[in-house]
Amino acid sequence: MPIPRHLPCALLLCSAGLAGTVHAEDLFLGEELPEVLTATRLKQSPAAVPGSVSVIDRSLIEASGARDIPELMRLVPGMMVGYTSGNQSTVNYHGGRVSEARRLQVLIDGRSVYRPGLATVDWSDLPVALEDIERIEVFRGPNTVSYGANALMGVISIITRSPGDTLGTRIKYTRGERGIDDWYGSQGFASENADFRLSVSGQEDNGFDHTDLDYKYRDSRRSTRMQLSASHTLDLNQSLEWQLALKEGSNQRGVYSNEIALISGAVPVIDNSRDVEARDYAGSVRWALDVNPNHSVQVQSSLQHWQRKQEWSACDLALSFTPEVRQLFSEDPDKLDTVSRLLRRGNGALIPGWGAYFGAQHPLAVSIYNYSIDPSGAYLNPVCGDLNNNIDETRFDLEIQDTLSFSDNLRLLSGASYRRDRTVSETYFGGALENDVWRMFGHLEWYLGEHWVLQGGAMFEDDKLAGSSLTPRVALNYLITPRHGLRFVYSEAVRSPDMFENDVRWTYRLENVSPQVDGRSYADYYAYANGPGNLEQEIMRSREIGYNGQFDFGLRIDIKLFNDEIHRMISEPLKITDFAPSNENSMWMRGAETEIDWQILDSDRLRVTYAYLKDFESSEKSHGRLSARYSGSAGWIRNWGHGWNTSLFYHGADLLNERRFERVDLRLAKRFRFGETELELAAMLQQRLDDEALTWRENLYDDRRVVYASAQLEF
Amino acid sequence: MRRLILLIYSLMICLPSQAGQIILGAAVDSPAVRSFTADLAQKRPQDQVSFMSLKQLKVSRPAADARLIILDRETLDWRLQQNDAPATLVMRVSRIEGAALLGERPPAGVTLLWSDPPPERQLRLARLLLPNSKSVGLLFDSQSAFLVDEYRRAAEELGLELQAKPWNPDGSRKPLLALLETTDLLLGIDAPRLYNADTIKSLLLTSYAQNRALLGPTASFVRAGSLASTYSDQQDWLAELDTWLDQSPAEWPASAYPMHFKVVSNRQVARALGLAPASDETLTRHLSEGEAR
Repeated sequence: MPIPRHLPCALLLCSAGLAGTVHAEDLFLGEELPEVLTATRLKQSPAAVPGSVSVIDRSLIEASGARDIPELMRLVPGMMVGYTSGNQSTVNYHGGRVSEARRLQVLIDGRSVYRPGLATVDWSDLPVALEDIERIEVFRGPNTVSYGANALMGVISIITRSPGDTLGTRIKYTRGERGIDDWYGSQGFASENADFRLSVSGQEDNGFDHTDLDYKYRDSRRSTRMQLSASHTLDLNQSLEWQLALKEGSNQRGVYSNEIALISGAVPVIDNSRDVEARDYAGSVRWALDVNPNHSVQVQSSLQHWQRKQEWSACDLALSFTPEVRQLFSEDPDKLDTVSRLLRRGNGALIPGWGAYFGAQHPLAVSIYNYSIDPSGAYLNPVCGDLNNNIDETRFDLEIQDTLSFSDNLRLLSGASYRRDRTVSETYFGGALENDVWRMFGHLEWYLGEHWVLQGGAMFEDDKLAGSSLTPRVALNYLITPRHGLRFVYSEAVRSPDMFENDVRWTYRLENVSPQVDGRSYADYYAYANGPGNLEQEIMRSREIGYNGQFDFGLRIDIKLFNDEIHRMISEPLKITDFAPSNENSMWMRGAETEIDWQILDSDRLRVTYAYLKDFESSEKSHGRLSARYSGSAGWIRNWGHGWNTSLFYHGADLLNERRFERVDLRLAKRFRFGETELELAAMLQQRLDDEALTWRENLYDDRRVVYASAQLEF
Repeated sequence: MRRLILLIYSLMICLPSQAGQIILGAAVDSPAVRSFTADLAQKRPQDQVSFMSLKQLKVSRPAADARLIILDRETLDWRLQQNDAPATLVMRVSRIEGAALLGERPPAGVTLLWSDPPPERQLRLARLLLPNSKSVGLLFDSQSAFLVDEYRRAAEELGLELQAKPWNPDGSRKPLLALLETTDLLLGIDAPRLYNADTIKSLLLTSYAQNRALLGPTASFVRAGSLASTYSDQQDWLAELDTWLDQSPAEWPASAYPMHFKVVSNRQVARALGLAPASDETLTRHLSEGEAR
């Protein structure tokens, strides 16, 4: 059917009134229009969704006063937020180790920002400003069928605002205690068939103030970001979107001891800064075609590059660079550890006769001991040089997705994707490492009458480094009414061991050494770690029973009971001196969580989340360190009229890494209107109710309270 | 208006039907027009129903006691220039066109039968589909600004708040976004500059992304993705004409909305919005019963 470009004939008296595509049999029905909300484009009502989804919408983002995404994750039931330092945060769903979170997929407009090499998400370095975000959809639970491996425990999908919705100018400045100094500016413009938005922003703060030993904490962050988004309407059935994003910044890292030194403390720390210079580059393009109202195709591709530069100088005893130390490490690292502790106890002035102890350890230990008591003292002199943790990661991703609606009640989403990851790092991989991942997926949605929806699918993935896997997923929703549904979900998901766990070739080479070692200007550290190369994929089995309801008086409730287990879990701490990842861990979590969102009239919104982790069992205690038994949030957002808005939030978790966390946030905002121009002034207060450190004992602030304020102009 | 219609109905029962000449006029002859003429003739065997093209009308002037039914704009233009033409019912004319053509006061002897769904009926449909909606958003342009007060009054009578914003589809989407943020649904107005094949995609996708339904503006938009609308099809208009033709033209008002109508809804869109509306027939019946009271 030809699709008319204009509607004039629906205007019943136009002179061409009876021509065109007017229904031949009926003079009065006007012209037929193309289907816009096609079967393939319609979403499911929340009650029919095969899983638990939390949506952090724009008004909630604004009301929260949050400055980064991990802070927003406190509004999602079951999400555990931890901090390694002020600029290194960890977001885990239900539980896991404190220092890393490898089991969540994070996407910005469909582009995975989960770093391929080190398998982390650098929350402080995401090339997106909070001001550009339309909403964040958090899928709580495994969903590799839709999002690929690594969507093991959940998916955080960040969706930026459509350029067409942000025409005009917006500038914002935020300043406050703890060195908070953020700025944002965006300009949206339209051409005939396209909309564009250019936004630039910066973020800065000082992180924590001091450590438990009262050192000044070196963990500031600073970043500058740029994003250019475009959306083109090619014709009625085709659209093209593209995006360019850049980010440049630096994250301070402090050094308080040289943890890879053979004898820590034996030589002074000469450079206590290991700041990371972080640069991110990303480009993506998405083409969508409506073949017909029942069939649409989407092709998306992205190219990303992460550059992390971390260079510092360090010293160690000349003894560390002797062949015997290296050989003992390779033969028996535990013995070397004992030897180094014995040496440390002697602290360079070894008690005569201790040689016997060394001899009892290992024949090589005697040589090491003899070096240490060499009368010249040469082996106890420091050797200094330059080290780095530099790494460059690149990812190319191409995905084709097809949505086909066989009837009003049966819809199939299927697709295939190819991903290429490349990592270059002398320190971590001794050069370059590449991986190719192929993926095929299908998901069927079938309305079995008015009340039942059956959804299921599977994903097949072939990972060059980790092997192939097939993961199924099935969900049955019972719709009591279209707005109230019960869901029963079983899903499996896998996580491939990442390059760091499986394929690392980790070693430190001290460059520009002084004095020279064996006549060379470089020296290799005794410690090294090689990935086992034979790790298998982690597997998660998840069972869920849930209820989602929307009441006519503005109340929405979601309740979820879950029973999740992870097997073949790779969870050992990955230290260069003790690198032994295996598939021998497991974790089992049972509990319940809820999210309640109540829009009371136009003026008030109440939002409560709560998660209760009834059982948490794991093969090792440290897996559950970032797992609070009770956690949640409560918020009250009110519009008082005359441009005044307030929001009050409480966040709490009983134990996160054995520390309680409770905080109240208050935001007060006033909007002024001058014609088309709008000015918003806002003040934000965060008050900790507990007096614990945040996550780790050294993460301390001078004050339990922080205040910051912002001004935003829109025209 | 409703009282007037009731009065007319009761008169109809008492008075004998008039017999006479009925002429359907349009600039262009077409099978659709012919078939409509034939249907009307069948419905009114007591009358002589015939079709005349504009050219024929210009040549052979219809008798003063005939009744003329005009189906398009050119024929209406001609009719408006005639001082002694017979009593005329004008079909397929929208409020905006009517206002542009005739201003505030239509000439005597001409009755405009509005093609757009009446505000009150659309708002009552909104209430049936979204019983808890409290505020309704309305976009208007310079051509349709005169209708805003009418919509506002109709909304107030139903206890709804109407928020209206001027909008230029070539400009910023801000007014639309602001309305979607503060109201429960968007009510379309039959304003061709705002709602047409070029603008509807962006309008529907934007409101749908905010989980807001669009109602109307006309039945044509329902297939595109509007949640629902009331409308009158050819059968309704035949019944409508039958009613008017039973009356003396002296009783005809200057303008009227059709009393006969149907509801059309988009079930897929309803499902995606978490709604389970009654069938179109049931909705039609509920609305008709409401209007009859």
